[in-house]
Amino acid sequence: MRSLLTGSAVFFVLGATSVAVAADKPVDFVRDVRPILSDKCFKCHGPDENARQGELRLDLEVAARKVLSPGKPADSELLKRIASRDPDHRMPPADSKRTLSSREINILQRWVKQGGRYKAHWSFQPVAAVQVPAVKNGGWCRSPIDRFVLSRLEAGGVVPSREAARERLIRRVTFDLTGLPPTLEQIDAFLADKSDKAFDKVVDRLLESPAFGERMAAEWLDIARYSDSYGYQVDRDRHVWPYRDWVVRAFNSNMPYDQFVTWQLAGDLVPKPTRDSRLATTFNRLHSQKVEGGSTPEEFRVEYVADRNHTFAMAFLGLTLECARCHQHKFDPIAQEEYYQFFAFFNNIDESGVYSYFTSSVPTPTLLLSNDKQKAAMVAAEAKVAESEASWRKVTDQRRAAFGKWLEARKPDARSPSPLPGRVYHNDFEKAPGGANRSVTGRFGKAARLTGDDGIGTGVGNFRRFQPFSVSLWMLTPEEKKRAIIFHRSRAWTDAGSRGYQLMLEDGRLSGSLIHFWPGNALRVVTRRKFPVGDWHHVTMTWDGSNRARGLKIYIDGRPSAVTLVRDNLYKNISGGGGDAITIGQRFRDRGFKNGSVDEFSVFNRRLTDLEVAQLFDGRSLDEALATPADQLTRTQREGLREYFLETVDKPYSDQRQAVQAARKTRCESYDGVTEIMVMSDLDATRRRQTYVLRRGAYDAPTEKVEPGTPASLPPFPADAPRNRLGLARWLTDDGHPLTPRVAVNRLWQQCFGSGLVRTPEDFGSQGLPPTHPALLDWLSRDFVSGGWNLKRTLRQIVLSATYRQDSAASKELVARDPDNLLLARGASYQWPAEMIRDNALWASGLLVDKRGGSPARPYDLAVSFKPVKVDSGEGLYRRSLYTFWKRTGPAPVMMTLDASKRDVCVVKRERTSTPLQACVLLNGPQFIEAARVMGQAMLKKHGENVDAMLVEMFRRLTSRAPTDRERKILRGGFDEQLAYFQADPKRAEVFLKTGKAPVEKGIPAVRIAAAAMVANTLMNFDECVTKR
Amino acid sequence: MTLPTSTAGRVCTGFDHPAQLTRQQFLKNFGMGLGALALSSSLGDQPARGDGVLGGTHRSGRIKRVIYMFNSGGPSQIELFDHKPELKRLHGTELPESVRKGQRLTTMTGSQSSLPLAGSSFAFKRYGDGGNEISELTPHLAGLADDICIIRSMHTEAINHGPAVTYMQTGSQFPGRPSMGAWMDYGLGTENSNLPAFVVLVTKGKGGQPLLSRLWGSGFLPSRYQGVRFRSGKDPVLYLTNPNGVDASARRLMLDRLRELQQAGGRSGKQASDPLLEARIAQYELAFRMQRSIPEATDFSSEPKHIFDEYGKDSKNPGTYAANCLLARRLAERGVRFIQLYHPGWDQHGGLPGGIRNQCRETDQASAALVTDLKRRGLLEDTLVIWGGEFGRTSYCQGKLAPNNYGRDHHPRCFSMWMAGGGGRGGTTYGQTDPFSYNIAENPVHIHDLHATILHLMGIDHERLTFRYQGRQFRLTDVHGNVIQDLLA
Repeated sequence: MRSLLTGSAVFFVLGATSVAVAADKPVDFVRDVRPILSDKCFKCHGPDENARQGELRLDLEVAARKVLSPGKPADSELLKRIASRDPDHRMPPADSKRTLSSREINILQRWVKQGGRYKAHWSFQPVAAVQVPAVKNGGWCRSPIDRFVLSRLEAGGVVPSREAARERLIRRVTFDLTGLPPTLEQIDAFLADKSDKAFDKVVDRLLESPAFGERMAAEWLDIARYSDSYGYQVDRDRHVWPYRDWVVRAFNSNMPYDQFVTWQLAGDLVPKPTRDSRLATTFNRLHSQKVEGGSTPEEFRVEYVADRNHTFAMAFLGLTLECARCHQHKFDPIAQEEYYQFFAFFNNIDESGVYSYFTSSVPTPTLLLSNDKQKAAMVAAEAKVAESEASWRKVTDQRRAAFGKWLEARKPDARSPSPLPGRVYHNDFEKAPGGANRSVTGRFGKAARLTGDDGIGTGVGNFRRFQPFSVSLWMLTPEEKKRAIIFHRSRAWTDAGSRGYQLMLEDGRLSGSLIHFWPGNALRVVTRRKFPVGDWHHVTMTWDGSNRARGLKIYIDGRPSAVTLVRDNLYKNISGGGGDAITIGQRFRDRGFKNGSVDEFSVFNRRLTDLEVAQLFDGRSLDEALATPADQLTRTQREGLREYFLETVDKPYSDQRQAVQAARKTRCESYDGVTEIMVMSDLDATRRRQTYVLRRGAYDAPTEKVEPGTPASLPPFPADAPRNRLGLARWLTDDGHPLTPRVAVNRLWQQCFGSGLVRTPEDFGSQGLPPTHPALLDWLSRDFVSGGWNLKRTLRQIVLSATYRQDSAASKELVARDPDNLLLARGASYQWPAEMIRDNALWASGLLVDKRGGSPARPYDLAVSFKPVKVDSGEGLYRRSLYTFWKRTGPAPVMMTLDASKRDVCVVKRERTSTPLQACVLLNGPQFIEAARVMGQAMLKKHGENVDAMLVEMFRRLTSRAPTDRERKILRGGFDEQLAYFQADPKRAEVFLKTGKAPVEKGIPAVRIAAAAMVANTLMNFDECVTKR
Repeated sequence: MTLPTSTAGRVCTGFDHPAQLTRQQFLKNFGMGLGALALSSSLGDQPARGDGVLGGTHRSGRIKRVIYMFNSGGPSQIELFDHKPELKRLHGTELPESVRKGQRLTTMTGSQSSLPLAGSSFAFKRYGDGGNEISELTPHLAGLADDICIIRSMHTEAINHGPAVTYMQTGSQFPGRPSMGAWMDYGLGTENSNLPAFVVLVTKGKGGQPLLSRLWGSGFLPSRYQGVRFRSGKDPVLYLTNPNGVDASARRLMLDRLRELQQAGGRSGKQASDPLLEARIAQYELAFRMQRSIPEATDFSSEPKHIFDEYGKDSKNPGTYAANCLLARRLAERGVRFIQLYHPGWDQHGGLPGGIRNQCRETDQASAALVTDLKRRGLLEDTLVIWGGEFGRTSYCQGKLAPNNYGRDHHPRCFSMWMAGGGGRGGTTYGQTDPFSYNIAENPVHIHDLHATILHLMGIDHERLTFRYQGRQFRLTDVHGNVIQDLLA
C-alpha cells in the first residue's frame, strides 16, 4: 500500500530541478550561498566549537577570510578544496556523507568572484520598510498584496489565474475562516449580490461568526500541543479544556496578537492579572507529563521545561531550538548557553517531574477555577475564619481572670492526667514490633529497631487539615540520614504527590510537612539544627489546624525547635489517596528509617501544649508546674500553665476553639470542591531556581550557571524589562522584533493558502526555506504590527486579495512550470484538514450540534482507538471536531487517519497524505455512514418523489454548487442502481440503516433511504466535497 | 526568474533521490502510472515495486523483511539466556558496590534498604552443535538452538518502560521519532501494493505496561509510513469492512459512480489532469483491493491442522500471540516488509518465577514454530526474526527475597535478545556479561548498533537513510551506531 502523490516532499523535489542559476547572475548570499554552507560545511566549520575541525569556521565572515579571497577565486583555498579531484583533499570529506553538486560548487565560485560578502540570515534582519512595487496590470490588483505577487509574475511572464467561480469562492473562504461550509441561503445571497462589496460582506460576516474562533483554535491547539490527557505511557485524563475555551474566546474577541502571546507566556505576571490572563498560561503546561513508577522526577521536570522552551521558540520565533540543548546549534546562531538562557525563563515554577499516581491532584502550580458562587463561598469562609480567630484571641485574653482563679483553686497534689487527654494511640514496643523489625533495648523497656523496609502500622491518624493533632515518640538514629521516613500518613512518596502528612529526616534535619501535592500545594518546616546522632531523643510534632506553616511545630527533647519555612502554600485537602493511617519507619518506594529505633509512640487528636510536650519528654515538667504554688511559678511555668488551662480545662475557650475549627472546616471545604487547572506561577525571589547549562542536555549534568536572557543574534532584551516571562513577552512583542510578526503572518497566510510564504513555518532559521515573496512577508508583517497586531484585519486583507480569489484550476504548462505554486499564480488546492471533513459531513446532514465549549465530546471512533473510550450518546457524537476528546496515546482514529496532528509536541504545519486508509474511513466509518443516512432521509422527506431535486440539493449541500447535467445523470444512475440493489433484498436496507444512533425516519421506505444514503456516501467521498478547490 | 531553493533537493544525501527523476518517471514508478492503476478493477495482486525514497538498497541486502517479536516489559535475561551460576551461589547476599559502581537505580528500588542477589530458579542446558545455553523455560526454542544467535550484551540508557520501548523502536527515548518499521517503509517501500508495508500485531487482552500507538508511529515522517495495526476483530484495518447491508457489488457500483463523478471534470466538463485527484482516485481503488487482500491474508481457514498444532492451540484464537505468529508468517509470505509483534507482560517486579513461566507458556512454542515454519518454506533465508524486550532485569531482588519467590527491577546495563534467519549466525552466542549479569564484560551492543546492523542486513547504510526535519538530517541511529560485523554470517 502506498499513498501516491502526497503533499510536500515530492512537489518540492520537482521545484528544485527547475531552479537553474544563470552563469553570470548575481548570487544572493542569504538565498543561494548560506544554505549550502549551512548544510554542507557548518557541521564541522560552524558555530559549534567542539565539532570544529581545522580551527576553521565559515559562519562568520572575518573567520572565513582565512580561506576566501574576495573577488579572487584562484586564491581561495575553499574553492580549491571543494573542486579538488583528490578524495583526501576534497571537501566535504567522504566520511561526512555530504557532497556538493556541481551546481552548488558553481554558486560558491560565482559568489567568491562577486566579492564573497556575508549577510545576516534574512529572518534575523529587521522587518524591512518595503515599497509596494509598481505593476503593469494594476487593474487586476485589489490590494497591495496583489502588487507584490503580480510584480513577480510579470517579471517571469506568468499571468495570474482568473477569479474562481462565486460558489467556489464562498465555499473556500467559509471553510478557511470558520471551518464549515456556507449554507445554501448564504450561497444564494452571495450569488444574488451584484454589489462591489459582495465578497467583503461575506468575509465580514464570517469574521464575526462565533465559528471563527473555533476554526482559529483548531490551528492553535496543534501549536499548543493541547490534549485532554497527560501523555507518556500511563496517559491519564486531565482537565485542561478551560484553556481551549479561552483560546476560542480570545480569537472571537479579536484579542491583539501581542496580548494573546503575552497572556499565554506571562498572564500571571502582567499588571493586575485576571482569571483569564492566568488561565492563558496553561499554554506552558500542556506538554506531556509523567507518572510511570520508578521515574526520576528531576529528569522529567527538565524535560517539561525543555518542551516549554521548544514550544515557545517554534510557536513564536519559528525556530527549532532542540539542537542547542546539547551543543552549540550547528546551523543557527544560537549558543548552547543561550538555549539555557531561554530555558531559565520557564524553569522557575513550583512543579514536580511526576504527577500523582494514587490521587487526582492537579500538578502545581494551579489556578482555582471557582465559579461566582464558589468564589463567594470562599470569600465568606475566609471572612468567617478571620472573624472567629479574632474572637478566639479575645476570649484567650478575657479568660485571664478565670485562669487566675483556677491557679488558686488547684489542689497541692495536682498531677497531670496520664495519659494526657486526647491520646488515640500508644505503642510502648514491649511486644515484638512485627515484620523483620527487631525488638531491642529501648528508652523505656523495649523499643523497635527498624529495617527500613517493614513499616509498623498504627491504624489511626486520618486527620483532615483543619483538625489539630500531635504525634510524639522517642527515636534514635544511628547516623546522619540523608533521607529517612520516621512516620507518615500517605500512600507513597512522589508517586502520590505524597498526599498526607509526614515527619522525615532530610539531610540530617527533622522535616515536617502537610501535603496536597508536593511541592506547590503543601507546607513544610525543617529544623535549623541537625538531629543528634547515636542516642535517644524525644520528638513531638504538633499541628494546630490553621492551614499555615507556623501552625506546624517540631519539638526535640521537650523544647520547640527553631525551623525554616520551606513551603507555606497548602490550599487543598491532605486526605485521600490511600494509606489512611500513620505508618512508622517505612513508605512505599521511599527510604525507610533503616537501623533507626523508635519507642513510646503516641498519637493525640489535639494540639499538645508546650508544657505537655515537655512532660512527655521528662515526665515531670507539667507535674512540677501543677504542684508549684502560684506565687512560686516561673514566668515560663505560668505561661505554660495558662496555655494548658485554656486547652484542657476552660470551657468558654474550648467552645470558641470549636467555633474556629468549624469555620476552618467550612473554609477547607469551600476550597476542596473547586476544580483546578495547571498554570504558570513563578517561585518568589528567595526560592528562585538557578538554571545551569546541562552537559549534553542531561538533567544530572549541570555545568555553569546562566541567567534568563535572549540570544545575541536577536534584538537586545529591553533594559527596563524584568528578567522573567513578562520581560520575555515584552521582548518578543516589541514592534521591531524581526521574527514574531513574520512568523505570525506567515501562519495566517498558511491558513488561507495551505502553505506559508515561508514554507517551513517550523524553521525560520538557516536550514528553513527562505520566503517565496520576501517583500510581501515584510510588508504584511509591518502592516500587522502597525495595525495593532490585529489578526482579523490581516486575515481580511489576505482573503480579499485578488491573489486569494484566483481559481485553483491550472493549465498543464503552469503546473509543469510551478508545481508547488510558489509563484501564487493560482488558487490553492489540497484536502481539507481532518476537522473540516468530519464537521462538513455532520453539518450537511443536519446532525452538527452547535454547542460551544465545555468538557470534551466522545464520538464513535473513540471506541476503536488504541485506548478505547466509552463513546457519548446524544450530542457528544455530533459536536465539532475541535471538541473531540484528545488522548495522546490513542487519539481519535478518524482524525489521525485524516492527518490531524498527534499533539505530542508543538506542530505548526500538518502533513498532508492521501492513503487508502482515508478512503476506508470516509467510505465505511459509522460517523460518515450515519451522516449519509440522516442526510438521505432528510432530503427524501423534503423532496418526496422528486428524486432529481433531492439529488441536486444533496450535491449543492456537499459541494456548494449545482451539479452539471452530466453529474446529475451520474447521481441518478447511482441512486437507481443502489435502489435496485436494496430492493433485490430489502433486509440489506434494514441492517444498513441501523448504523449510528440517530433515529431512522419512519414513513419512508427503508430501501429508498438506503439508496439516498449511498448517494450521499458517494458525494461525501467526492473530491469537491473534501478538497479545497 | 529564480525560484527559491526547495528543501527536497537536500532531503537525503549520498544517493539517488526522486529529485533527480522527471515527473513522468516518477509517476511511472508509482505503480505503472496512476491512470492505468485507477482504471484497473483487477483484483489481482500488484507486482512488487521498490517505491521507497532510496529507490533500491545501498548494497545487496541479506534480508528482505523483518519479523520483530517485541516482548515488552523487560524479559529477565537471567532466567532466559544469561546463565549465572554465581548468582545462585551468592543468593541472598548483598550486591557488591564494586559491581554497581554507584550507577543509578529506578526510584522503585533506589530507596530499598537492602539489595540481595537472587539466583535464577531455572536450569540451563547447552543445546545443538553450537552449544547455545538455553533455559528450561523455553523448551521449544531449545530445539532451534542452532538456528538462533543469542546476544547477551545488549544495553540501553533508558531505565523505565516508556522511554526504553520508545528507544528500542525509534532510536530515541523521547517521543517524536519514526519507528524502525516506518524508516524501512520510507526507505524501501513495499513488496505488495495491496498490503501495508509495516504491519503491527499486538497480543490482545494482556495487562502489564501499556503500549502506545506512537511506538509504531511515523514521527516526523509523513503519516503514510506509520505502522498499520491489524486488529483481531472483523476489521483488521480501521473501517475496512463495508457497512452492514452493503456488499462488494454495491460498493463496486458506488465506487464506479464516484470515479465517473471525479473524472467528469466538474463544471468545465474537461477531463481532469490534476495529480491530487489522480491520487485520490487511485487510493479508492487500493482501498477496494485491500478489502479483499487483507481479509485474505488474515483468514486462517486454509491452514492445515498440523500448522495449528505446531503453533499451539492458541493459534486458532485470533489476537493471541500464537495466532499473531502464524499471521506474521502469512504476511511475510505476502511481501510485508516489517512485521512487528508486541507481547506485553514481562515486567516481573515481584513473583518472577511464576510470572515468567506464564509468559513463556504463551510465547515459546509459537515463537519457535514461526522460525521453523519460515525455514520450511524457504522464507527464513531472507527474513530476519528478532526476539527481545526493552531492557533487562536486576540480579538483585526487588522487594522481599523469599525462598521460592523473588522479583527483579529494571536493568538497562545488560540484557539479552535472539535473532534468527537471513544473515544471522545460528548456533552462536555474542557478548558476555560479568558473573552478576550486571555489567557487560565483552562485546557490548547498543540499541543504535542493533539498528545499524538490522538496516545493514536490509542492504541499507544506516548513515544514508535520512530525513530532513527541523533543519537537520535525522536517521534511525541518530548520530551513533556501528554495524556489528561479528553478528553477520
